[in-house]
Amino acid sequence: MKLDSQNLADLAVGAAFLGTGGGGDPYIGRQMVEICLSEGLEVDLVDPDSLRDDDFVIPTAMMGAPTVLVEKVPSGEEAVHSLKRLELRLGRRATHTMPIEVGGINSTIPLVVGARLGLPIVDADGMGRAFPHLEMETFGVYGVPGCPMVVSNEWGDSAVIETTDNRVMEWLSRGVAIRMGGAAYIAEYAMCGADVKRTAVPRTLSLAIRIGRMLRDAKANHQNPFDALLGLLPDTLYHYGRIIFAGKIADMRRETRNGFSLGTARIDGLGRWTGLMEIEIQNENLIARVNGEVRAIVPDLICIMDSETAEPITTENLRYGQRVTVMAVSVPEIMRTPEALAVFGPSCFGLKEPYVKIEELPA
Amino acid sequence: MRTLTATDLEDIAFGAAVLGTGGGGDPYIGKLLARTAIEHHGPVTLIDLNEVPDDAHVITCGAMGAPTIVLEKVPSGEELLMAMRYYEQVTGHKVTHIMPFEAGGLNSCFPIVLAAQTGLPLIDSDGMGRAFPQLEMETFNVYGVSAAPVAMADEKGNLALVETESAAKAEFIARGICIRMGGQASLVNYAMDGATARRVSVPATMTLAQDIGRVVREAHAAHEKPIDALVDFLGTTHYGHATRLGSGKVTDIARRFENGWSVGVVTITPFDDGLPYSIRIQNENLVVERGAEVLAVVPDLICVLDLDTAEAIPTERLRYGQRVDILGIRVPPIMRTAEALTVFGPSAFGLKAAYRPLGL
Repeated sequence: MKLDSQNLADLAVGAAFLGTGGGGDPYIGRQMVEICLSEGLEVDLVDPDSLRDDDFVIPTAMMGAPTVLVEKVPSGEEAVHSLKRLELRLGRRATHTMPIEVGGINSTIPLVVGARLGLPIVDADGMGRAFPHLEMETFGVYGVPGCPMVVSNEWGDSAVIETTDNRVMEWLSRGVAIRMGGAAYIAEYAMCGADVKRTAVPRTLSLAIRIGRMLRDAKANHQNPFDALLGLLPDTLYHYGRIIFAGKIADMRRETRNGFSLGTARIDGLGRWTGLMEIEIQNENLIARVNGEVRAIVPDLICIMDSETAEPITTENLRYGQRVTVMAVSVPEIMRTPEALAVFGPSCFGLKEPYVKIEELPA
Repeated sequence: MRTLTATDLEDIAFGAAVLGTGGGGDPYIGKLLARTAIEHHGPVTLIDLNEVPDDAHVITCGAMGAPTIVLEKVPSGEELLMAMRYYEQVTGHKVTHIMPFEAGGLNSCFPIVLAAQTGLPLIDSDGMGRAFPQLEMETFNVYGVSAAPVAMADEKGNLALVETESAAKAEFIARGICIRMGGQASLVNYAMDGATARRVSVPATMTLAQDIGRVVREAHAAHEKPIDALVDFLGTTHYGHATRLGSGKVTDIARRFENGWSVGVVTITPFDDGLPYSIRIQNENLVVERGAEVLAVVPDLICVLDLDTAEAIPTERLRYGQRVDILGIRVPPIMRTAEALTVFGPSAFGLKAAYRPLGL
């Protein structure tokens, strides 16, 4: 599937939705791909099932705090440099690139890399959403090593990191990303086609495009976009969703610490929603509580959307006074196994609450 | 060319700690590591800078981090070997010669460990002629050798390769990794050919370290004052000049761990209760002042020595009450050029004092 400008607009919206608040500003990522299209370059999205077992896939991404990205705009060459450096290190050319997460900028960085290098992009990723840490990948959960990995900046500086533990990889590369100004560009989890089919969350880019198109169509046809979205989900790997709250942003607490955007959003209920919802953020929305009671918890998706337009709002764009609707969505089963929850379940974020599937939580 | 055996290590570690000018890591730990390596793998071949073949593939090596941390996070001795093997693996080059990147208690001995483990010749020179706290503060960098690629390893086998255009950026990024490796890491960097090594290195610093150790040991045996013997001896070397700047008792030490370095100020009060000496530290001793007067400043060496034994006291071992001499040593001409002072003169450390070579 060759992506066009309309696909990109839809992707940006859908990826921000699946990004569950994180993954960076979709606007910047989209502009980078638009430039590629305007230069006549092709963005070729391929289904994971079409991969040969011996294809060689190098995922690419941005690493850092989304808040930093708003001021430190990438040149577009950084991730290309990381992929090429990793090819050199491994002595092997990539046949494809792939996102590591679905979310604002990180759904689009691999598109830029693919367009610039003429590589097809695999329609899959390793998080099925966005997560703040590099070890939080289904790739790693199911045995693909993250290293060697490369971190690059806009000056062409790079660091190759080699560890056997994906958590140590995260720790060391985060140190590099911080010293590169809080946002850097990576290539990691290089793997063969067979491993992609075994470990990746499939078809998340095309799903994001479908979500974006659905919201656009609903708006054009004067339908309720939330109903349209909830109607789409049962037909996907993210089979269940529901609205868990709606109201007005009453308070935003935010800080950039250790290379992450941390904070809490408080939402005052409006209409049939009463009480106060608190959403804890570490780059992404981690847990939503109403009066202390859990309404949704990581890894299930917690999406804060504009109540009028259903446009997803990333955490760095949350502001006092916004009217928002919060939707929770189940993640694919590959992300709900005990092995997966050991890597990106609630306890990995220091949350005391156990994981309870959104389908099983009281509404 | 000569052979280094375990019996040479006492003098080398002693003298290297003096050249470490307060930094360069703990000489005791360095000596133990080097002795173990020589006992296991046999003696090390030490060659003069002018014996290095033009087409040699030289790497420089040492430890990076805060000396205070080495006291608790003792190296396993395998780190440098891992870093060098990693360098060879990623660059495809075969290393033929090893050089220390600085002279200092740990960092003169650490390369001896690597030379013993690999059987490769060790070059009698380095890139600082003393110890400095930052990777770009190398004569190699001053005279045009690229710091990158920088291969790094920690005791757990974690590896990193830093590639940057400037040495200052390599320092900044590698320091970030070093901090996350626990504040201490082992490095291989500044790869160069033999002809370049001869042009850009500070010569004969391993021999100088050993001679310093020997001179002090012989002075003790002859019941002479070691500091006087040291001052006389250093005047005859390529460093050219040394002087006792003062003596006294350590009366205050303020030290903290900041951005991956040990930084602080030590106050030494003279025995006649005159104006105290104040020494500023960033891993190494940077400047010694008495009132408004600057007695010595980087890159000249400022060494705090035990009053009785002339043993160098590294900054991390300074304590209230120690009786000390303050020894100043002028650096050789290759470290005093305008280019060199831009990279490791007083302004590179944010010091306002102008550099005035000791004794000139």
